[in-house]
Amino acid sequence: MIAVAGRSIGTKIRDFIGAIQNSPRVLVGALIVLCMIVCAVFAPWIAPNDPSIQDLANTLLPPMWSSVGSRQFPFGTDALGRCVLSQVIYGTRIALQVGFLAATGAAVIGTTLALAAGYCGGKVDRAIGYLVDLWMSLPPVVLSLTLMVGLGTGVGNVILSIVLVDWTRFCRVVRSEVLVVRRKDFVSAARLLGFGHLRIVLREILPSVAPLIITLFTLQVGIGVIVEAILSFVGMSVPADTPAWGMMIADGRSDIHAAPWVALLPILAMFMTVLGLNLLGEGLRVALDPRLRNRDAR
Amino acid sequence: MNVLEFDHVTLNAVLDGGTVQVLRDVDFGIARGETLGLVGESGAGKSMIGRIISGLLPEGFLIGSGTVRFNGESLGAMSEAERRQLLGGKIAFIPQEPLTALNPVRTIGDQFDEYLAHLMVPRGERHAIALRQLSDVRLSAPGEMLLRYPHELSGGQCQRVLIAMAFSGNPSLVVADEPTTALDVVTQAQIMQLIAMQQARSGTALLFITHDLRLAAQVCRNIGVMYAGDMVEFGPAAAVLQAPIHPYAKSLLAAMPSLVGRRRMLPALFEQMPGLKMFKELSGCRFASRCGARDTTCEAGDAERIVGDDGHWARCGASCLILGAVEPGALMPAAKEVRSGVDPILTFEDVRLTYHASRGLLGMKKTSFDAVKSVSFSIQPGEMIGIIGESGSGKTSIGRLIVGLERPSGGNIRVNGHDPRDRLDHNAYLGRQDAQMIFQDPQSALNPRRSVMELLTQAMEGTGEDGPSNRSSRANRLANDVRLPPDCLDRFPSQLSGGQKQRVNIGRALCVMPKLIVADEIVSGLDVSVQAHVLNLLLEMNREHGITVVFISHDLAVVRYLCNRVFLMNRGEIVESGNAEDVFSCPQHPYTRMLIDAAPPESVGVKWPSVSLATM
Repeated sequence: MIAVAGRSIGTKIRDFIGAIQNSPRVLVGALIVLCMIVCAVFAPWIAPNDPSIQDLANTLLPPMWSSVGSRQFPFGTDALGRCVLSQVIYGTRIALQVGFLAATGAAVIGTTLALAAGYCGGKVDRAIGYLVDLWMSLPPVVLSLTLMVGLGTGVGNVILSIVLVDWTRFCRVVRSEVLVVRRKDFVSAARLLGFGHLRIVLREILPSVAPLIITLFTLQVGIGVIVEAILSFVGMSVPADTPAWGMMIADGRSDIHAAPWVALLPILAMFMTVLGLNLLGEGLRVALDPRLRNRDAR
Repeated sequence: MNVLEFDHVTLNAVLDGGTVQVLRDVDFGIARGETLGLVGESGAGKSMIGRIISGLLPEGFLIGSGTVRFNGESLGAMSEAERRQLLGGKIAFIPQEPLTALNPVRTIGDQFDEYLAHLMVPRGERHAIALRQLSDVRLSAPGEMLLRYPHELSGGQCQRVLIAMAFSGNPSLVVADEPTTALDVVTQAQIMQLIAMQQARSGTALLFITHDLRLAAQVCRNIGVMYAGDMVEFGPAAAVLQAPIHPYAKSLLAAMPSLVGRRRMLPALFEQMPGLKMFKELSGCRFASRCGARDTTCEAGDAERIVGDDGHWARCGASCLILGAVEPGALMPAAKEVRSGVDPILTFEDVRLTYHASRGLLGMKKTSFDAVKSVSFSIQPGEMIGIIGESGSGKTSIGRLIVGLERPSGGNIRVNGHDPRDRLDHNAYLGRQDAQMIFQDPQSALNPRRSVMELLTQAMEGTGEDGPSNRSSRANRLANDVRLPPDCLDRFPSQLSGGQKQRVNIGRALCVMPKLIVADEIVSGLDVSVQAHVLNLLLEMNREHGITVVFISHDLAVVRYLCNRVFLMNRGEIVESGNAEDVFSCPQHPYTRMLIDAAPPESVGVKWPSVSLATM
């Protein structure tokens, strides 16, 4: 008997893996994101040099394939003689940390309020709706800069400010989906079977809106990576000794003509990360939705 | 010369690398002014014929052999531009969903004008033609109608507009794909009458695609019965309806409940029509696996063509000929005596339901709509009750009131002695699931993220008995009760057919052993042969478990088959109630009579439709 239940879960997983294999978007996206995560976790082993060590004898060294390049610094060095590649690899840590934590926070707050608004309707919905409207009427860049000034610099505060600015996106989008799902007959059916409201929200509605949340989440990670880069570009994120992509771009700016690689590599890293996350998000939405998954079969 | 001719047409489709024959050797013709009915269940390929004519075949579908000729010219040999010129002008279409066929953001006049512009009508004449066409389909105040938007019209009015458009170019051929399926029975009768009138005026040939064999027999000269891409039978309407040859046509007729005569059990076909992907494995007669009269010759080789009188033929192995006329089902056993002296399971006392809406600036303008106006009745345990009404009559609201999904604006409802709202609002009666509901649309009623096993035993969740072994054994029993194959349990709703989904829906309601089940239009989306299964299942539930059933439907024949007592609803009120047989044999209220007259009769000798063609 238990085997039946086990097979059911097994089928689910098999279907899911099958769907992923058929979707090149998910594969490419997942591969890129996985590479970034590996870089972040194993940075000390992957990076050829310590990113903070300055080799003042070798400043603005071009990449190794150039005639004057050195094998020791594969992508050259910056104005202070630090290894560009190592800095980018270490920079992945901050980027992903901010991206994932900020997206999680925004998703949790936004989704909770969206479920409450969409499921309860009436006054609760209106109150949350007004709050979101009010919040969204504040310009996001000004809001987050104001928050940063108020909270002070630091990675934790960067995450907090992204959460406080971007939860509204989750709330808006998820709420409208909750409204659609809530009107489905299977929600009425669950009520008739004696389910409590909390159980209905968690067991019937949340799984139905989960693909949307996952899509938004991956897109939000990308936004978080970019916002972190912006804030570290203006020096409001990490302390100066911690490598971050935004800071590298800011540093490379002055030598952009003489040594374009200093700014180019972090830009490329950021571009690839956001691209990978977007591909993964869009692909997962399709792969996670049984309705879309079986569209060909019908 | 025939207006339209399908000359041994085979339609191929590339699926998963292989080629399947979606249509096999389809061969028929329609003469000028004639109506041909294509009848079949969903998946029979009848809509593909409409798509071949319009040139809108899905990707990968190609005509393999044979030719389609329109007025003697091969459609396949024409250029894109030539075909486009034919469409709308010489070949017009009447769609299935009138409300979605019109653009919601443009006025009727605007869309009519565009249509006439496509027909090369000079600008100056368009308005006059539109007015004339609209008054021809009996729309009152056509000038005003042109200024309105589609959402301001009823479904019947929209369909009249579309008919007016279709016939405005004096087409040689009109293809009507299920033009009345989305409409009420009275509107259906009117629409069919209007199409016939327009057709007679311009001598148009009509290709009428429908799932309703009786309706087709009333309006068509010839009928072709489709099954899994084959035209299995073709002939004059009367012959096909009264003396069908092919076993599929026979079982299709036998599975339709009747409005007259004694009530007989509906013999249901087992399984369902094979899907496109299975066509490859089916050589010979594609109906063979479901056929009661099959023999070894059926599955081998091509079926022979049996020719009857007057152009009536069927494609079937010779052995089936022996069967002769449709065998009637067994007489339905008399319903169990409803015990008197027991407390009623359900009472309505002066129940009202009013919806309020705020409109206008800042919601200043309050409007209200009475969905249910003062309804009272009482139902004894074990009864089979039918509630009949057209859309908007309040019948669905009654169902939702019974289970507690709506709160009455006034009056008193008691289900087994309790207020149905109590168990939903407070946990006072948790676990006492007296009333359950089977929902109309199984697509929406089944959570697509749950497997069939989880759906069937959903009620056990959180009760403390929801261990996997408990659930699995209960699910197996329920699946057996509703005749679901056990291998369905691991699947998800999107992997089931419509009939199977509806069975899961029923099984879930049965899981809590309710005393009362409300079934809201549960067979209206199902094919005839599947419908018979579901109806018999409800009968069985009532007989064996004594479950009281409130069956809500617009289909008189289905209600007559199932129910002992009926309520007829119109505009939120019960206008007639009583014993089912009595109500249908001698209706008292004019509304009941109108509904009965509007239903297509079973014999072709009767004049139909006998409803008046009201101006809308």
